[in-house]
Amino acid sequence: MTTAGVRVGVDVGGTFTDLVAWDGAGQMSTLKVPTTPDNPAGGVLAGLAAVARVAGPCASLAHGTTLVTNAIVERRVGVVGLVTTRGFRDVLEIGRMNRPHLYRLDLPAKPEPLVPRRLRAEVSERIGPDGSVLAALELAELPDIIRHFRSEGVESVAICLLHAYANPAHEQALRLALAPHFPFVSVSSEINAEFREYERTSTTVLNAAVMPLAARYLDDLVARLASGERAVPIHLLHSAGGMMSVEAARARPLTMAMSGPAAGVAAAAHLSRTLGLPRALAFDMGGTTTDVCLVADGVPETARQRKLGDYPVRLPAVAVESIGAGGGSVAWVETTGGLKVGPRSAGAAPGPACYGLGGHEPTVSDADLILGYLNPERIYGGSIRLDRARAEAALDPLRRRFGLSLLDAAHAVVEVANANMQRALRLVSVQRGYDLREFTLIAYGGAGPVHAGALARDAGISRIVVPAHSGAFSALGCLVSPLRYDAVQTSRMQRRPPLRRPELRARDRRGRGEPRRAADGVRAAPSPALRLRDRRERRVHQPPGDRAARPRRRHAAGPRQLESRVARRHAPRLLPRDRRHHDAALRARLAGDRPNDSRTSAGRGRVVDDARPSGPALPRGSARQSVDRGRRVNEVDP
Amino acid sequence: MNLHPATLEVVRNALYAIAEEMSVIVTRSARSPLLKEAGDLSSALTDAEGRLIAQGRDIPIHLGVMGFTVKEFLKRVPRERLREGDVWFLNLPEVGGNHLPDVKAVRPVFVGGRLVAFAINLAHWADIGGAVPGSYVPSATECYQEGLRIAPIPLFAADGPQRDAIDLVLANLRGRDEREGDMFAQFAANDVAARRLQELFAHHGGDTIGACFERLHAESETQMRAAIRALPDGVWEGEDWVDDDGVDDRPIRIHVRVEIAGDQARFDFTGTAPQTRGPVNTTYYIACSAVYYAMKALIAPDVPPNDGCYRPLHVHVPPGTVLSADPDRPVVGGNHETSQRVVDAIIKALAPVLPDRVIAGGPTTSGVLIFGARQPDGRWAILYEVHGGGEGATAAKDGASAVRVHMSNVMNTPIEVIEGEYPIMVEEQALRLGSGGDGAHRGGLGFRRAYRILAPELTLTSMLDRRVVPPYGLAGGRDGAPFRITLNPGPRERVIRGKETVQLAANDLVVIETCGGGGYGPPAERPVDLTARDRAEDYRG
Repeated sequence: MTTAGVRVGVDVGGTFTDLVAWDGAGQMSTLKVPTTPDNPAGGVLAGLAAVARVAGPCASLAHGTTLVTNAIVERRVGVVGLVTTRGFRDVLEIGRMNRPHLYRLDLPAKPEPLVPRRLRAEVSERIGPDGSVLAALELAELPDIIRHFRSEGVESVAICLLHAYANPAHEQALRLALAPHFPFVSVSSEINAEFREYERTSTTVLNAAVMPLAARYLDDLVARLASGERAVPIHLLHSAGGMMSVEAARARPLTMAMSGPAAGVAAAAHLSRTLGLPRALAFDMGGTTTDVCLVADGVPETARQRKLGDYPVRLPAVAVESIGAGGGSVAWVETTGGLKVGPRSAGAAPGPACYGLGGHEPTVSDADLILGYLNPERIYGGSIRLDRARAEAALDPLRRRFGLSLLDAAHAVVEVANANMQRALRLVSVQRGYDLREFTLIAYGGAGPVHAGALARDAGISRIVVPAHSGAFSALGCLVSPLRYDAVQTSRMQRRPPLRRPELRARDRRGRGEPRRAADGVRAAPSPALRLRDRRERRVHQPPGDRAARPRRRHAAGPRQLESRVARRHAPRLLPRDRRHHDAALRARLAGDRPNDSRTSAGRGRVVDDARPSGPALPRGSARQSVDRGRRVNEVDP
Repeated sequence: MNLHPATLEVVRNALYAIAEEMSVIVTRSARSPLLKEAGDLSSALTDAEGRLIAQGRDIPIHLGVMGFTVKEFLKRVPRERLREGDVWFLNLPEVGGNHLPDVKAVRPVFVGGRLVAFAINLAHWADIGGAVPGSYVPSATECYQEGLRIAPIPLFAADGPQRDAIDLVLANLRGRDEREGDMFAQFAANDVAARRLQELFAHHGGDTIGACFERLHAESETQMRAAIRALPDGVWEGEDWVDDDGVDDRPIRIHVRVEIAGDQARFDFTGTAPQTRGPVNTTYYIACSAVYYAMKALIAPDVPPNDGCYRPLHVHVPPGTVLSADPDRPVVGGNHETSQRVVDAIIKALAPVLPDRVIAGGPTTSGVLIFGARQPDGRWAILYEVHGGGEGATAAKDGASAVRVHMSNVMNTPIEVIEGEYPIMVEEQALRLGSGGDGAHRGGLGFRRAYRILAPELTLTSMLDRRVVPPYGLAGGRDGAPFRITLNPGPRERVIRGKETVQLAANDLVVIETCGGGGYGPPAERPVDLTARDRAEDYRG
């Protein structure tokens, strides 16, 4: 790995694209260029050209983007047709029936269905919870559906059949039949092989909806990079804070949806690994929101389900708790006389009053400036010099309202903002059973380092890390993230009769016989370059010391193999003696270095084949598998 | 006392964080799916007088009741008997309660030997004893048949769990291990809350916290009074009916007279039906809880709910009605059926005053079906399933389809979970086309679910409403279609009533069709684009 040139991390944000270049010899440069929403690949290319002038040619590219998130939020997505089991096309519209707010009669109780009813088609087929085929798939019904979808302009098809996580055969048959007619097909058992039909359908449909857009972007980027003097390997950051190949991103673009917050968290995780911090809190205070995420043993906490817009997405994503308090949050007085801060923000424009860009309302940043936490002599964001007089004018009404000195009024604003953030810190830690006092606070984002001290003191946290390059921290996160793939497979275990070796071996065979699909969703690609990369990725999945002993097992880690491996080891311990049925979600996380990144010390690749029930005490290491208890039969003694 | 403006916000945030943390702890450490998965629990803090100060983001029906629990508890248990480290458990409907499965754990919090606050949490126990597994007995005519009645008793003290008392409780319930886990989860939540409150007092001082409590009450009271003052003075009446009580087959009237005068509102339930023989009775506390919910939703959704928020709302219920039943009357269904009908009556009363705020009738029922099958090894598999329906329309929008409304918000069980864990197959789940009441805005659609029974024997209990009296339309909108439960549709079909226990056999098919929402405004005024959409998506069937 002695390729000349620099490794580049790129984080495409809403306004700016941040770049970090690393030359392998300890030299790091950072750069900022404007984001180009109409021509996203062009912006990245312009950034790379700028990097080339400063630091040298780009040897590899690691990339995070908000493209997918913005597309969903702004509903710039493809027209999706959905195919479901006969009798269940309305699952998507029925959902889980709960509403997001308790007292608001004026707000919609549920979002518009992602696919309108007329584009939800049913096919005759039925699979049982154990994977057995109860009714055969009627492929003869497809021509009518294809004709209807085409006449409605469908370009992307989502397939979600009942119990497909237990047996994907019907979904695969549908994929084969539909693929010739539609450029994009998304299959539920490949996106999220877990029970819960509504959440799985929603996730599959959202994935289908962003496939066209993501494919266009990725194709454009790959083509443009390939047209240069030599091919530049690209990897993309996914929501769980790891990198994936272009192929994986093309098949599952929805996994990029949380890559914005994931990038910063990934950088914080890298820091905590480098510094050997067992418990850290990534604390990112921006202009509008503050994101907090727990990092245990160098691995960001991930959540299995999040909402995107109002829709559930069941894919692993960094477990960020986000609250509406940032540097731009506006301080105001309630009708009853209470002092409040946020959630409304002055944002980037007009911004805090002290920016002098037309803002007049008092914000947290104005209070910070008055208290001397921000330096009036420094240039912020390239061009902004803070104006103390404007900050004072903005805070004056508050000062008079409460009869305080200017300093006391500013202090009150900061205290209230900190109290909001304190609540988020506490929630993130207690929800996972941790004590805040064991933590190190890693503070970044525009305002994070300013507030970290007071917050840490109130929370009893005794150590704070403020990283260098905290402005380009997210781009750094792309650069240092290991390859990481997550797979999940629901398995219904039975206590009696217990899982026996012959049965497990049968499951193993079944797994190997399936269309070959590694846990990362990477399929053998037609282009030689991509195939080569795939192979290299698989190679680093293997634990270094274990390669000779069990060579094939490790990289054929499809969901089925994982299932049996985990079940064999842990079923006896996991199943309480008095329970007969038990659903387990088997989760595998494979992590390793990116192919050409062996120079970094970050997260040396290994697979820890050591599963245990999830809980507060996590195994140490950069990778892990876990099994968590799912829903059980609610049994009552006679 | 002159409070620094930041202090109140800091303390407010800390109090809410404690209440939220309590619910997180119960969810994380409880053993029953009803608490871990469905989240049927709530947490709150009160001051030393039992007045609600802060609550978690939980279930409105619980939160309203919990504002009374500690106050009533203090009438039963003299303060001198309370000790540091006690956790008292209770579920008596007449002591600030609602129905037996909702068990409250109350922890007095002391600072320097002085009682300063209470932490309280409520959890729905999946079984509280009584005639049938799950403790929902549609034919019950006495509260005693509904399970174990727990008068306030300290199950935990400073020296640890009180084993004898705990064993007495557990000996009367099904699923002993699971219940014990749930009980300890409630204890743990209260214990952490007490510690956090003590830290808060130590940090700010008792006088400051006391002043904050008063300010929090005062702020919410001021905001609620302002919201009421914005309404015109006057008197309005509204009424609605519960289908039946499960024992006697006749509708039960809920009548309210709402009087707005200046910054106060009075709710008089004179004219409401007498207490019933069957289990749809409920308590004065639930009536208040329903009033509080309705007024918050209609005029003050953003006011922080606490004791002060409810001071301008006066509730009068004459003795002996279905909303003020004698302590020995059965109450299990009244908690979530009759309570919702109180909300309906208030909305109908205030519809002329608040035409832009009210919402037409919807699935104001928990739509409960309980499937209980004895497994080959003798254990019970019990599926407790709730069913939503079409939301009512408003002046501004169509109702949503297949949702929970008002005071309940528990989720359904996924089909893939039902089929994996119970001897039941779901053959269809579809929108019930045409069930929404027509109007300028249409009511949301109910849905249809078909359950095929696979076990040789299975007991089905229904506890739902809106099967006879349909969800109402408003301002010229039409009623929604009522619930309908059919056993084995076809020539030999039989209708299952809303509060009934039925024995089923293998291959029986139970089809539940849930209610649609009421429409709002005359159907002739429906905008053309909405009509076109109904046609394109076939929503009207």
